[in-house]
Amino acid sequence: MTCTLGEVKNRADFIVYWGGNPAECHPRHFTKYTLMQKSRFLPRGRKDRTMVLVDIRETKSVKAADVFLQVRPGKDFELITILRAMIKDQPISDAQLAETGLTREQLQDFVTRMKAAKFGVFFFGMGLSMTRGKHMNSAALLTLAAELNAFTKFVAMPMRGHGNVTGADVIMRWQTGYPFGISFNRGYPRYNPGEFSTVDVLVRGDTDCNFIIGADPGATMPKPAIEHLASVPTIVLDPHVTHTSKLARVHITTAPAGISAPGTAYRMDEIPMPLRPALESPYPSDEEVVRRIKETILKKPDWMGERPQMLTSQVG
Amino acid sequence: MSAKRYLLNPMRTAKQGVHVNVGKDGDEYIEITTTLSIHVDDMAEIGVSDGDRALVKTEFGEAEFTCQTAKVPPGMIFVPYGPPTCQLMGGDTDGTGMPTSKGWEVEITPLGEANSQVITE
Repeated sequence: MTCTLGEVKNRADFIVYWGGNPAECHPRHFTKYTLMQKSRFLPRGRKDRTMVLVDIRETKSVKAADVFLQVRPGKDFELITILRAMIKDQPISDAQLAETGLTREQLQDFVTRMKAAKFGVFFFGMGLSMTRGKHMNSAALLTLAAELNAFTKFVAMPMRGHGNVTGADVIMRWQTGYPFGISFNRGYPRYNPGEFSTVDVLVRGDTDCNFIIGADPGATMPKPAIEHLASVPTIVLDPHVTHTSKLARVHITTAPAGISAPGTAYRMDEIPMPLRPALESPYPSDEEVVRRIKETILKKPDWMGERPQMLTSQVG
Repeated sequence: MSAKRYLLNPMRTAKQGVHVNVGKDGDEYIEITTTLSIHVDDMAEIGVSDGDRALVKTEFGEAEFTCQTAKVPPGMIFVPYGPPTCQLMGGDTDGTGMPTSKGWEVEITPLGEANSQVITE
């Protein structure tokens, strides 16, 4: 129930950004994929497309939008649920509507536009996924997109963050079957967000060593997680001095991926993009450092006695 | 001190995104991530003016910011993500693996025009 950005560029005539500010956070999104591009099916480009923005405040993206719906903070789930009801002509009370901060006319217009679209897309950002409701908000929006397919073609896609977070998810998925929050401590992958996810593991203080590659949790994670990073040996691979490298015991400088080291970045629609290095670097790549660490570890005596790690050693 | 509580919404800006790559030790990055946008009526209520420093507190921590009026909804403050906002976030993910980064209730205390540094306790 998603698609590539190429399909969006060629076919999507109804674009909804929900809890995201692409004008600031994804500045090429409008021009390369969603609004400005002309295509075989949308020959007039911007004039053939409609954009709706749902957010709690007027961001810079409002200027690009045809319709702006200012939802009350923390009421996204309620709004999505109301929309799910309205597309099926279910009754909605005034009190329920009032909670969202929007009028019946605004929502009826939104529903009419969604149903009339030939190809609609929801792009949802952290305003939806990192506020109260979290994954339930995302799940509700995905359900709305699925249900709209009874009327027209509709898809949904998350607006991913900086760097290559999509790549990390994709690689973990095809290697283990899970995208994140994975524990290998029994010798096979187990998935449980809230238990094995990085923030939770750090906040509980479960780790006695941290190995961080190309990320700066010291400048992004909640305070209790940062405090744990500083309290145990932390090893960082990063091209730059960061907040995390400053609290680490070991910082190995590596070549910037995609600039001085080759690799594959995944676009937010999960299309792999091979990157050739444009510049030379005196530093090794992340991949080389990890490989050399692994080779060194394999030369060490096996303290567990047998491989793979024994279940009895972990839970016995 | 204002007894009223405000909703803290960390967010991203294009300028912040640029300076993440320029360097997080740079003066501009530090300035961006320590500037909070707030409605003009809320500023009057708290007792601060443009450029004044204020201490923002949650139940988990506190950090200092420079106040700046902006076209934002009353009752809400917006700050670009950075080390100061990390100081204000709790670690509970509600079993999702995702920390709550937006929607924290905060108290704001005016500090005047002092050129004080961000508290990193």
